[in-house]
Formats: sequence, structure tokens, C-alpha cells
Amino acid sequence: MTIDATSSVCNLGVLESLTADDINEIMESWKGFCLATEALLMNGNAAHLSFGSNLASHAHTLSNHGLDSLLQQHFFCSLEENFEKNGASKFWQHFDAYSDVAALEMSMDPILKDRVQQELCKALEEISFEKQYQEKCLLMLIRALQSNKDIALDKRQSPDAERLHLLSKYQLIVSSVLMATLPRHFPEILHWYFKGRLEELSTIMAEDCEDDNESQGNDDMDLDEKNKLPYRTGDMGVDEFYHRKLANSKLVKNIGMVVRDLRSLGFTSMTEDAYASAILLLLKAKVHNLAGDDYRSSVLESIKGWIQAVPLQFLHALLAYLGESISYDSPSSDLKSPLASHPSSCYAGVDNPSEGLIRWQLRLEYFAYETLQDLRTAKLFEIIVDYPDSSPAIEDLKQCLEYTGQHSKLVDSFISALRYRLLTAGASTNDILHQYVSTVKALRTIDPAGVFLEAVSEPIREYLKGRKDTVKCIVTMLTDGTGGNSNGPGNTGDSLLEELNRDEESQENTGVDDDINTDIKQAWINAERWEPDPVEADPLKGSRNRRKVDILGMVVSIIGSKDQLVNEYRVMLAEKLLNKSDYDIDAEIRTLELLKIHFGESSMQRCEIMLNDLIDSKRTNANIKATINHPSQSGAEALGENEVSLDILNATIISSNFWPPIQDEALNLPEPVDQLLSDYAKRFNEIKTPRKLLWKKNLGTVKLELEFEDRSLQFTVTPVHASIIMHFQDQTRWTSKNLAAAIGLPVDVLNRRINFWISKGIISESLGADSNDHIFALVDGTIDTSRSGANSGGCEELLVVDEDGERSVASVEDQLRKEMTVYEKFITGMLTNFGSMALDRIHNTLKMFCVADPPYDKSLQQLQTFLSGLIAEEKLELRGGMYFLKK
Amino acid sequence: MTTINNHQDTNTPVTAPVITSSKQPLSTTKSADTQSVLKRLQSELMALMMIGDSGISAFPEEENIFCWKGTITGSKDTVFEGTEYKLSLSFPNDYPFKPPKVKFETACFHPNVDVYGNICLDILQDKWSSAYDVRTILLSIQSLLGEPNTSSPLNTQAASLWSNQEEYRKMVEKLYKPIAAAA
Repeated sequence: MTIDATSSVCNLGVLESLTADDINEIMESWKGFCLATEALLMNGNAAHLSFGSNLASHAHTLSNHGLDSLLQQHFFCSLEENFEKNGASKFWQHFDAYSDVAALEMSMDPILKDRVQQELCKALEEISFEKQYQEKCLLMLIRALQSNKDIALDKRQSPDAERLHLLSKYQLIVSSVLMATLPRHFPEILHWYFKGRLEELSTIMAEDCEDDNESQGNDDMDLDEKNKLPYRTGDMGVDEFYHRKLANSKLVKNIGMVVRDLRSLGFTSMTEDAYASAILLLLKAKVHNLAGDDYRSSVLESIKGWIQAVPLQFLHALLAYLGESISYDSPSSDLKSPLASHPSSCYAGVDNPSEGLIRWQLRLEYFAYETLQDLRTAKLFEIIVDYPDSSPAIEDLKQCLEYTGQHSKLVDSFISALRYRLLTAGASTNDILHQYVSTVKALRTIDPAGVFLEAVSEPIREYLKGRKDTVKCIVTMLTDGTGGNSNGPGNTGDSLLEELNRDEESQENTGVDDDINTDIKQAWINAERWEPDPVEADPLKGSRNRRKVDILGMVVSIIGSKDQLVNEYRVMLAEKLLNKSDYDIDAEIRTLELLKIHFGESSMQRCEIMLNDLIDSKRTNANIKATINHPSQSGAEALGENEVSLDILNATIISSNFWPPIQDEALNLPEPVDQLLSDYAKRFNEIKTPRKLLWKKNLGTVKLELEFEDRSLQFTVTPVHASIIMHFQDQTRWTSKNLAAAIGLPVDVLNRRINFWISKGIISESLGADSNDHIFALVDGTIDTSRSGANSGGCEELLVVDEDGERSVASVEDQLRKEMTVYEKFITGMLTNFGSMALDRIHNTLKMFCVADPPYDKSLQQLQTFLSGLIAEEKLELRGGMYFLKK
Repeated sequence: MTTINNHQDTNTPVTAPVITSSKQPLSTTKSADTQSVLKRLQSELMALMMIGDSGISAFPEEENIFCWKGTITGSKDTVFEGTEYKLSLSFPNDYPFKPPKVKFETACFHPNVDVYGNICLDILQDKWSSAYDVRTILLSIQSLLGEPNTSSPLNTQAASLWSNQEEYRKMVEKLYKPIAAAA
């Protein structure tokens, strides 16, 4: 009799049709089946497969009674029970010993490592064996049931589907049993296992790599053809070589076996996690190792190469070994052959590209980019510090950012680094400016559009605006090739002069803010410098559209106006020119020409006049000397040993209207020199009537030689110092008051200046009768050598550095301060009489009445700043928009 | 130093305190074109601002350089100590050949100042010279406060009270009404 298996459970009517015999038969068979099952599973030995036939016959009988599902259920229950008892618990027991050790994986010694690995392999082998056996048993049952069915039913009931269903059910049971009993440290052990293997592998690879370095170069040509591939496939020949090597390598096979066993146990995702994290960890370590703190070389390519060489090869081999189970699109028949999945065939389309591998590659590369980016971003400050040298690192970073798009992260971290490390009181303005320029240059590479540059440079600019010497430093950087910074000769990349040069060819128009015309030129220059983007780059944001980032413009905009900069430059130029003794101004002319291009002819006009003064001076000077009828020779007879010839005098004749205010200090020059000067002036007057010379006697330099009995010393000093020492020529002792009167200096100034000679050991100072009146005496040569012998040899030629920072030209700050005091007085005056005034009324009133030299020319903004300064000094107060005098 | 002429008629102005000025009186040629007046006033303003004497000050009003506001504080050790007086100065078109009109804006209880603020001071009338300038005028008026000419008063009550300095001080304080700071 046949009962429809599907209806047997619910159809109670069937029960009635059962005879006692049937029931007996069922009972018998059931007992037999149970026993057979138990025997079969318990012994777990192939020898006992004889139980199989027993089982089959019982199953057959029961199945005839429509008890298929009951059979299956019972069988699965037994399987589960057995697997739990024999398989899982034994399996886990292997790892019990390492539950603690796994946590301490780092400190593990290699022997223990090996043991764990062996243990893992052994355990997997055992359990796999167990599983295989059980599967065999299951198949036996299935076969029995199916054969029965085949006889019973004519039409086939898709036995394959049934079988697959049952097998997967079994699979589920296995993994759920294992999962349920999973000890916590198992994933760690796995992770750790893969890590160890990978490290081993990477060492092998590294060795191979070295061997193959030479061959790499030759094969690079082939690469171009493959450029359309989503990534550089690396060296084909080497690839193949590696591949073969790898495929044959026992190591990968071992790993593959472990992975396959783990997979079959249902640990697929855990395994993948484990080796993924191991690979990423290894990659991270590699990136850190390669990138390190060296910014002088690009590491991106080598990282990519390494990804290609180690983890991808590993994965490739692994995927190949695992065959179809991993391949995302199926055709896998010959994936097991290492050559079949060789990249060339892979991408030529013969075989389907292993999509999993490409995914892995993209994933790894992204991870590498991100790691490197994080590493470089964190160190961006240092990278920029040695900018010109570190440009490879910048290039790397740029590529990484193109991939990851995490620009904002970079900006944030860089700004905070800047604030913390650069924008502090301890940093010198020069350093900040240099860093700023480097930052601009570096970020110009990373981000041609200048958007992030804007964000990053904002804090620096704000900070620099608050520094008083910013203008001065910028001008120094502009004019001086070394940036006025003695950091070393390697600093040329920072020079703004170089920027000036760079702009020279590109700018024919004037003005910094005039961008439209320069853009075309700049675009042309950019086009000439164009280099193909890396293949990864998005063609939409190519470098063709690179916007001009005008460093000079950015630097100037810190100051606010170019006038201020030009003014500072004028002062600096004046200082430089006045200290020149040889009329050699080629360098200055060149700088001026460059500046003229940048700032416009008109704003540099005064500076040009200053330079012209120098050129004229040279000519006039020569002219005067040539035509003067040597009055000094006639004077020489009268003056005797004090003779001075006109040949020793070179004059710089300036048009003082166009020069910055010049420091004036009254000074009586010694008679012979004075005579010389007036002769010179007279001659000048003769040549250039009606113009006359007015000497600035305190400016200039004097080269002099002091002759003592036993030695002679040479000095280059200021006129003041020279006239001081000259007074000791005739009279070796002076009181400070007398000497001051003779030279025409205030006593305190004299005391300060004479310190120079005292420090040289040429004059000694002693207290006189009056405590305010010191006595200066020429030190006798012999005494001097004994007293400061070290000095005598060393000071052959010394340029006096004014220790008080005295300058020949009033600095811009001095000028500004002077102007501002005038304004302050006016403001006080008007507020005294009008009580209170609003800002714009003060502004207008100043404009109207403050017409002195220089006239009031400040903006409302500047006035407000100035007034705020006065408020801070408690001279004014501000109430309700009105300014009051503070009483 | 201030000297005062005592032997003059009631309405004769008080002789100005002699404040030396380096400039010699210019010839009174009538070349008073506005430009030169402007220049003169501007340079006077500049000088006044730069010297910055304490206790006197003046500044052109609004946009008219011919109308100035002045401020004088009472000198120390006089009955006017601690007071501050506002003045108005208006310059004629032929300044400096004619003196400016100077008036007290703040009520001032003083023998030589009337209730309208008019001042009786010789240098502002017949003793004017083009060598004087705003600064000398203000200094003169400041001196006048402490050393009035009681013999030819505009304000007789003040003149008669002058001898009693204590009472006078009280009177000054009583009548002193500083102008609130003009907006």
C-alpha cells in the first residue's frame, strides 16, 4: 500500500487503515532504524558502513509507511547530537589551550605560533573528516529514501533538489552547532593565523621582489597597452613568474585548505573577515613602513606595486584554489589551474575576469590611499616645512585625495596643526611667512582650484596681520634671494624673488588684482607645463582648468595695500643705498624692474628716482674729482700730517624729496674732513649751479686705519665713531663733556657711541672728578696687547653693527607713528571743543583741516582702528557711537 | 608774565598780556584774498594742535574754518580753577589784519566779560596786531581770567567783588554752568 507522503501527517484517516501488522512492522523497523543510526554515527568509522544496508532496509520499510519526514528528522537529530558530541566539542578542545594566549598574540613566541597553526590545521582536518563521514551517512539515507521513491513513483520528483535541500539543511545544522558553541577567542585565532601566514608570504615576496627588480624595468613598456584597465596590472612577466611560484607554493595551498575547511564549516564570513583584516593590517603596516617620515620620495607607486605583488597575488591564488565557490560569476571549470586566471587571459576576455579579485584590488587600493592620506595629513605640517624637498609626498597626498575626496579632513587637521605649532608668539614672523609661502605652493599642487588653500591660509593671514614686522619681512623676502633668513642655502624655494621672476614673463600688465589678462597668459604657461594626469584622475577636474594662484598677490594682500609694501621697500632700499660705498646697484635695479612689473610703474617711481640718484652720484662724483683743482694738496702743506685727499671721499647725492625722511644728527666733523666736504660742495655748486650740497654728516661709512706704535688696525665705522677716534689723534685724554662739545653730540649719545671703541680696547674709560664727567683716554698700545690681546689680531676689518638698531632712514613705523601723533592731537583738539563726535565726523574733520605734510589720507576703517587704540590707551572713550575725551 | 594797564578809561580794553611771538607785524597791505587767509588759519590750527598747550584749545567748527570753537580752563590758584569755558571765535575775511571776534559761550562771572559773553581786551580791539594768532589770543584770555582789570569793568558787580576772593569763588561756582557736551 502506498500513502502519499505529503498527506500522511495530517490525514488522520490513514491511521484507521493501519493494521496491527503494519504497526508492528513499523515498530520493528523504527527500532532497527534507530539502532542502525546510532551504530552508524556513534562509531564514526568507515568500517561500520555495513550498518548502512541495515539502515537502508529499515528506512525503506518506514518510508513505505509514509514516515519519510519522521525518518529525516530523527536522523538529523542524531546527526546534530553526534556532531555536537564528537565534532564540535573536540574541535573546540583544540583551541582551549590558547584562549588566553590569543589575547596576548603579540607576545607569542614563534614556537607557540607554529603550534597554534598546526593545531588549527589538525582540528580542521579532524572535524572535516567527521563532517565528511556524516555527509556520507546522510547521503546513504537519502539514497535509500530516493530509490524507494523511484520505485514507488513513476514521475521523478527532482531528486537532486531534494538531495541539495537535505545537504544544505545538514550544512545549516553543522554551522549552527559550531556557532552556538563558538568560543570567543576563535575569530582572534583565525585572524592571527592569517596574519602570520601573510607575513610569511610577504617575506617570501619581498625576497622575490628583490630578485626581480631588474626585469621589472624592461616590461614596463607593455603597460601602456593596458592603460585602459582599471588599474595597472604591474609587470606581466613578473606576474606570471610570481603566479607560478605562488600557485606551487605550499603555503598558499595550506591556507587555501584551511579557508576551504572553514568555509565548509560555515565560517565563511568569519574567515573572510579574518583574512581581510589580516591583509589590511599588513597593508597598513606596509604603508607606514614605506611612507614613514621620509617625504623625499614618492611611495604611492611602490605601495601599489606591493599590493599587486603580495596581497593580490595571495588572494588570487586563494580564490583560484577555492575555485567556483568564490567566483562571483560562475565559469570556474579551470580556475584551479593557476595559468587560467593569469591576468592577461583574465583581462583579454578569454576567461571572465575574476571580479572578486578586482573588487579586492579596489578595496585594497582605497584602503592604502586612505591610510597614506591619513598618515600624510597628520604630518602635513612637517611636510610643508621642508616643502621643496618633500614635493613627492605632496604629490602622493594629492593622488590619495583624488581617490578619497577627504579634503576637508586635511584642511581641518592642517589648520589645527598650524594654530598649535606655527601661529604662536614663539614663531618668528619670517618663519611664519616662509611656511605660508610653502603652504601656498604645496596646496597649489594638491588643490589647483585654490578652494582649500583659501580656508587654510585664512588663519595665517589673520595672524600675520597682527604682527608688526610682517611688512618688513615680506619686503626682505621680496628683495633678498635668501629671504633674509639664515636657515641655510637650501631655502631658495621660499624666495619671493623667485616668484617675481616667475611672473616676469607672464605679466605684461600692471596690478596684482587684474586677473583677467594674466589668466590667459597663465593658462598658456600652464598648458606648456601640462602633464598627463594619472589614469585614476577624473577627467572632469583635470589640471587644464588650473586656476592661477598668485603667491605674490596673496602675500601682498596680507598687508592690505601695496602702498604700504612699496613704502616699506622704499625705506629698505634707502637704507641699502645709503650704506653702499661703490655705487653698484645692479641687483637693486633688477629687483626694482621686477617690482615695477608687478606693482606698476607709478608706485615705484620714487624708488626709481632713488636709484637714479645713485647713478647720477657716481657720475657727478667722478666729475667733481676730475675737475677739482686739488685744494687738498695746497691744504696738505698747511695741515701737515692731517692731510686728507679728496680721493678718499665718495659722495652719494640724493634728491631728498623723494627719499624717505632721513635721520639727522648734528655732528662736528674733524676740521680736515670738514674742509674736504666743503671743498667738495663748492665744486658741486660750481658744476651744478644753482644747486648746493647739504651734507648729512652723520650718514655714510668711514674706512680708517689706526696706527699704533706696534700695530695697525683697520675699521669700517660710522662717521660718528670716526670723528670720536680722530679727536684722540692729537689729545689722548678727553673728559666726556669736552669731547661731546667738540664733536657736537649730547653727552649721553657720546657715551653710547664711544662704547664701540671701549669694547675694542682702544679707549679706556675712567671716572673723573665729577661723577657725570667721565674721562676717556687712548689706551697705550703695549698695555692694550696685554689686556685684550685676543682682540688685536681679530678685528682687522670690522663693519660696525649698530647695536641700538640705529638706522640712517626713518622706518615706516616711525613715519606712521609720527603721522598718527599729529592725528591724535587733532582729535584731542576737536573733542576738547566739541565734546563728542561720531566717527565719520572725526573722519571728515580730519580730512578737512588736517592738511599738514603728510595730509590725512587714512580710510574710515584705519581711523576706527586708530581710535580704538586710543580708547585702549584710555585717552578716549566710546559711548553710543560717539567718541569722548577720557577725563 | 602779565602786565595790566591801570590808568585807562572805563571802556578802554585791558592791555594784553605780552606774549612774545617771533613774527614781526606784517605791513597792512590789503592782500587779504581768501586763499591766504585759509592757509594762515590752517597753519595756525596746525601749530596750535602741535604745541598742545594745556588749558587752551580751539578747533574750526563743522566745515567753516572761519568759525572756531575755543576752550579755556581756569588757571590753577585762581578763583576760576576747575572751570572750563567755551568760546567762539569768528575770523574776518581780512584776518589777520583785523582781529577775530571772540565771545564767551559759557556764562562767565568776570569783571571784563559782560552777560552776553563779550570780552573787553585790548588786543582784540585797537591793540590788535597781525602777529597775534589764535594761540596768543587764547592764552591772553586765560590770563585775563586770573588777572582782571577791575578799574574798567564791564561787569561792575564782579569788579567790586574781586577784592573778596573767597566770596568771588563762591559766586563763580554758583554761576558756572558748563555747556553740556554738544553732539
